[in-house]
Amino acid sequence: MEEYRHLAQTLQHEYLGDLDRKYINKRHKELSPVAKAFQKIERAIKDLHEVESILHITVDTGEEDQQMIQLLKEEQTQAKDIIEALKKDLILCLVPSDPHDSSNVLLEVMSGRTTGGDICQQFTREMFDMYQGFASHKNWDFEVFNYTPAEYGGLHHAAVRIAGEGVYRRLKHEGGTHRVQRIPEVGLSSRMQRIHTGTMTVIVLPQPDELDVHIDPKDLRIDTFRSKGPGGQSVNTTDSAVRIVHLPTGTAVECQQSRSQLQNRETAMGALRTRLYQSMRGKETEQRHTARKQQVGTRSQSERIRTYNFSQDRVTDHRTAYVTRDIKEFMKGGEALDQLISDVLQHGESESLLELVDNLQRAQPEPGLVQD
Amino acid sequence: MSELLTHEQTEQIWKLCCQRLSRMPVQYVIEEWDFRDVTLKMRPPVFIPRPETEELVGLVLQDIQTKLSKGGEAEHKCLEVGCGSGAISLSLLKSLPHLKAIALDQNKDAVDLTRENALKLGLQDRLEVHHVDVLKDADTVLRLCSRVSTLVSNPPYLFSEDMRSLEPEILRFEDHAALDGGEDGMDVIRQILLLAPKLLLNHGRLYLEVDPRHPELIRRWLEHVKELQYMSTEHDMNNRPRFCILQKDACNGHP
Repeated sequence: MEEYRHLAQTLQHEYLGDLDRKYINKRHKELSPVAKAFQKIERAIKDLHEVESILHITVDTGEEDQQMIQLLKEEQTQAKDIIEALKKDLILCLVPSDPHDSSNVLLEVMSGRTTGGDICQQFTREMFDMYQGFASHKNWDFEVFNYTPAEYGGLHHAAVRIAGEGVYRRLKHEGGTHRVQRIPEVGLSSRMQRIHTGTMTVIVLPQPDELDVHIDPKDLRIDTFRSKGPGGQSVNTTDSAVRIVHLPTGTAVECQQSRSQLQNRETAMGALRTRLYQSMRGKETEQRHTARKQQVGTRSQSERIRTYNFSQDRVTDHRTAYVTRDIKEFMKGGEALDQLISDVLQHGESESLLELVDNLQRAQPEPGLVQD
Repeated sequence: MSELLTHEQTEQIWKLCCQRLSRMPVQYVIEEWDFRDVTLKMRPPVFIPRPETEELVGLVLQDIQTKLSKGGEAEHKCLEVGCGSGAISLSLLKSLPHLKAIALDQNKDAVDLTRENALKLGLQDRLEVHHVDVLKDADTVLRLCSRVSTLVSNPPYLFSEDMRSLEPEILRFEDHAALDGGEDGMDVIRQILLLAPKLLLNHGRLYLEVDPRHPELIRRWLEHVKELQYMSTEHDMNNRPRFCILQKDACNGHP
């Protein structure tokens, strides 16, 4: 609050340099929702005090105007409720937000390795269908640009671009290892157990704007079917697959969704930009940073974030201990998934807020000590 | 995927497989293919667009869009020599709402197919298609077209001796006249270069798709043509020199 008032004052001064003004303006803008919420609470508390003081006066002078007392007590309760609601709003404003929250995403699903059977690949396909259903439920764009099926109807890996309002914020906690169980674990030999358990991985990356990532065409190696021979009119093929390798970083993307080679190249470039953006911003540091601020608990990449138990009809998120039933309905990617995501988000935001408070407390000296 | 095929559908698929087994290109079997952001009807023996040509269109679009962004006139007219299925002209028309185009081909089947594709894409009002042989009827070409700002072509550019080693898909089903460019693959290219100064407005551009050996030959040949300037050679996705961009310069080469 103090910072906010100080900034407002500073802005009044006219002799600020352009850059300073820009920075201060930005910070002022960032703090403004918090400040407004705080001011609202201050006003509400004042209102409450007024009501309470009138109430005391009325009771003290012994006036037996029951109706008046009743009205005042109602106002008191109302004022308290308003303060509670405003406090909640304030908390929401304080939650550190991820700058990518409103971005579109690149979502990838990848089958885990399995010893025997195709349970991982089947599960990967079911997860893909679930996210497709979820995108439809939220009215998001779901653009497939890589779909590599496995044998027997499973899915090996796939990549999609999901675009819409606040997609990254909703999907960011979906990243991680998901586990499937299709047979009860009790009483089976370890080999038999492995056949009926599987995992798959979900990766969610925010998709940057074109302007955020600069790619020099000289740094790219583009592979297409036509590399051998003179090409051109002398060859006819239907293989329009494009593979782009970013030589300096070794990042590779491929796309074969469209019959037009050019369209495939454009889609692949979009995916490349997303991956490069992620590496550019230091994926590892960012993930750790985000884990500290936003993620729920601290799970390493290999730890499972969620288990889908088909035989016991149960989905459990291990970060929040949230359990839901009717797994068939859940896998449609509708309201059930949305609720789980909301729960995980809430937990994440509470944790990051607690951490924020923690940091602030550590940064400030204990009031008691100062007096000494 | 879980529905069973009907008897008719199974028969149909069997018929298509037989066609493919006879080495008919897939594009002819399914009677369509995509080119950039349009889907075109395909029919033998009309030449099937190659992926490189998608990039040729990209080069033309880039230049025109740059001109437009600098405040150039919105009305452009473009002439295509050897339109085949209409791929080049139609995808240009689709991307540039103010463009008008004239397309020529020496093969009547190509002319018909281009007209069909124009109708299918709703672009028929901005496209004129003519059945003309640019080698035999130069006068007709000059008469049909007033000067244009853009001349574009994917002419037959294969060397005659290379025709023999083509795969059956091409040899047995596609129009050889759309592929064979003569001994050095330059027969049609040379004709276009000769006609270009008369077809182009001053500072208008010619865009050609060629064999990787041609850019050098064209540069040298241009020393005899005063009004055409060689601007640049562009490479395709496989890093082969594939496209030549030339500009009409009516100042006779004076700086």
